[in-house]
Amino acid sequence: MNRITGLLIWAAVAILGAYALAGIAIDRGEPVNSMWLVLASVCIYLLGYRFYASFIAAKVMALDDRRATPAERLRNGHDFEPTNKWILFGHHFAAIAGPGPLVGPTLAAQFGYLPGTLWIILGAVLGGAIQDFVILFCSTRRDGKSLGQMAREEIGRLGGVTALLTVLLIMIILLAVVALVVVNALKGSPWGTFTIAATMPIAVLMGVYLRYWRPGKVLEVSVIGFLLVVASIFGGEAVAHNPALAPYFTLSGLSLAFCVILYGFFASALPVWLLLAPRDYLSTFVKLGVVLMLGVGILFVRPDLQLPAFTRFTDGTGPIFAGKIFPFCFITIACGAISGFHSLISSGTTPKMVAKESHIFPVGYGSMLLESFVAIMAMIAASVLQPGVFFAVNSPAGIVGATPEAAAATITGWGFPVTAAEMASLAKDVGEDTLYYRTGGAPSLALGMAHIFASSGGGKAILGFWYHFAIMFEALFILTVIDAGTRVGRFMLQDLLGNIHRKLGETSWMPGVVFSSAIIVLAWGYFLVQGVLDPLGGINSLWPLFGIANQLLAAIALCVATTVLVKMHGAKFMWITCAPLTWLLIVTYTAAWQKIFSPLPRIGFLAQADQFERMIESGKMTAAKLAETQTLIFNNRLDAAVCGIFLVLVTAILVDSVLLWAGILRGTRPSRITETPFVASRLRPEEV
Amino acid sequence: MTRLRNFWKIVTGLLRELADENAYQRHLAAHGRTHSGEEWRRFCEHRLKAKYARAKCC
Repeated sequence: MNRITGLLIWAAVAILGAYALAGIAIDRGEPVNSMWLVLASVCIYLLGYRFYASFIAAKVMALDDRRATPAERLRNGHDFEPTNKWILFGHHFAAIAGPGPLVGPTLAAQFGYLPGTLWIILGAVLGGAIQDFVILFCSTRRDGKSLGQMAREEIGRLGGVTALLTVLLIMIILLAVVALVVVNALKGSPWGTFTIAATMPIAVLMGVYLRYWRPGKVLEVSVIGFLLVVASIFGGEAVAHNPALAPYFTLSGLSLAFCVILYGFFASALPVWLLLAPRDYLSTFVKLGVVLMLGVGILFVRPDLQLPAFTRFTDGTGPIFAGKIFPFCFITIACGAISGFHSLISSGTTPKMVAKESHIFPVGYGSMLLESFVAIMAMIAASVLQPGVFFAVNSPAGIVGATPEAAAATITGWGFPVTAAEMASLAKDVGEDTLYYRTGGAPSLALGMAHIFASSGGGKAILGFWYHFAIMFEALFILTVIDAGTRVGRFMLQDLLGNIHRKLGETSWMPGVVFSSAIIVLAWGYFLVQGVLDPLGGINSLWPLFGIANQLLAAIALCVATTVLVKMHGAKFMWITCAPLTWLLIVTYTAAWQKIFSPLPRIGFLAQADQFERMIESGKMTAAKLAETQTLIFNNRLDAAVCGIFLVLVTAILVDSVLLWAGILRGTRPSRITETPFVASRLRPEEV
Repeated sequence: MTRLRNFWKIVTGLLRELADENAYQRHLAAHGRTHSGEEWRRFCEHRLKAKYARAKCC
């Protein structure tokens, strides 16, 4: 009876999911309610979790609770500690949820809501969650080893070096692109700039409070920090309306870029307890709280989607970034569907805290489904905006025209009506001078979130507060990614420099710290400034580069995962990781090839460099413009070279892996499993 | 009621874990020490050094 009831319930979930999916895919001519997206995604997540992931857990991984995990065997009260399943779930989710699942879907909404939504749901269930799940399993069975260590041990020396180099390069591009998102959100916005600037003294105050006044009271100081940050939003409004103070906080893109670069340098070189750690605590709690608020807000308001299922920009002529739906939709949304960066978390802290092997299933697979749902919420928040407003906010001046009237006319000409007066009124409602040309996704996402929050209560009167609250939320944790990323990049570089000069490798030797911090900051700062000066808005070139890099890191993780599966079961189950790997390789190689070699200047880096070169050769340029154009030519060639380096690195690890798999399957290479030997668990239930 | 209590326990447990307060309690227990400002700073030195040597996700 129970079995029949269970079958009936799952059949109902399947039918409901299929109905909701068909509804959002087929229905045309009337607005689609956001609840259909929520329903379709939740049903598919439940089916994926209950059937596909549980099959992998039982038959492929054979998760065994009798086996002691590294958290139990190596328990030390620091890193290795058996942790409650749901606490670890939240901990892992907080670690994998960055700005990617919010910004990516917002940018990909230029194709309409449907392509991005389908990729987020299916990509997560069949790819992203599988990657996180399998890598967490592999690392847990190997004493919590990192992806690089596993690549070296499972595939070979080349795999380890490639993984390390790829991570360092990706980090540089990642830091530049997320910094660009913040710069574009804050330029010309005294309210936003003051609020974000205020978070720095607040963080320092929190750091000092925690170290000297009330040591150990992290939750207490986080509440104080949050209240101060909310107060700074009101302070930002006062500053924006003060003619004496507003000019100090009304900064250009370039000035803001230099401020962010300086911030990155100091955050990397200063003691971690002073700035980085308190900001991180605050941003983690704000992030979880706002994600929860957004979920509740969407359920409460149930807004209609204003964007169509597909826009005309599926043909590759999109204003936000150029390129057709295939492959660019799939690299624009990385986090939320599949993200290589997650494999670093799944082989970092989390495997050292897994109390029982069965917990790997909800933590590894389940957390990624929740992250995917965050991406669905971001897609909804972007899609509730009027399409004309969405494109006016996200399109660069180089595409739509340099005046509000010209931009409104261009966007209306695309079939998305919007007027300059409408945009001016909206900007006034949120307390900004203008909302045009705010590329990067953060401002349009903030507008969508503000719309949902204000519709829950308060209406237009508090739209400005919610808009700046959302901007604060995005910038707060993006800056945390920047400061922590710069620090990690500095450690990686010092690791390498230590081979040249021993002192440079010492993380407490100040000249070495300053030198290596400066190198890392200059590396991502260069790409950031390049993005700010780009006439096409920067996002057009940097976000695809980041997407390609992130997906290629996922390809490396899936190579490691496939190698482990081949060693465990031969060819029998390798399709589980090979299927998403094949898809990722097709998508990323196509995208990278197009970004380098496409003859269309808006897509191909080399074609754009050639176009600039022809402009110089025509001889109609002023001396100032000439220098700027030469820089643009160099930048485009540099981007092409970086893209090429990614391809070479991943091709090397791929070829190495395929040769190994073929050798193992033919019996010419040893299939040595590097798992830690079985030790019986003695963990008592009350200990977890 | 018990379920609600358990849920609350998990929520506060998660918040304390994210805030490193649980890790600090484990540190005190593991080394048989009592809380003091000096002890917290010693714990932070070790904990934060390891924490920020790892990449943060995008």
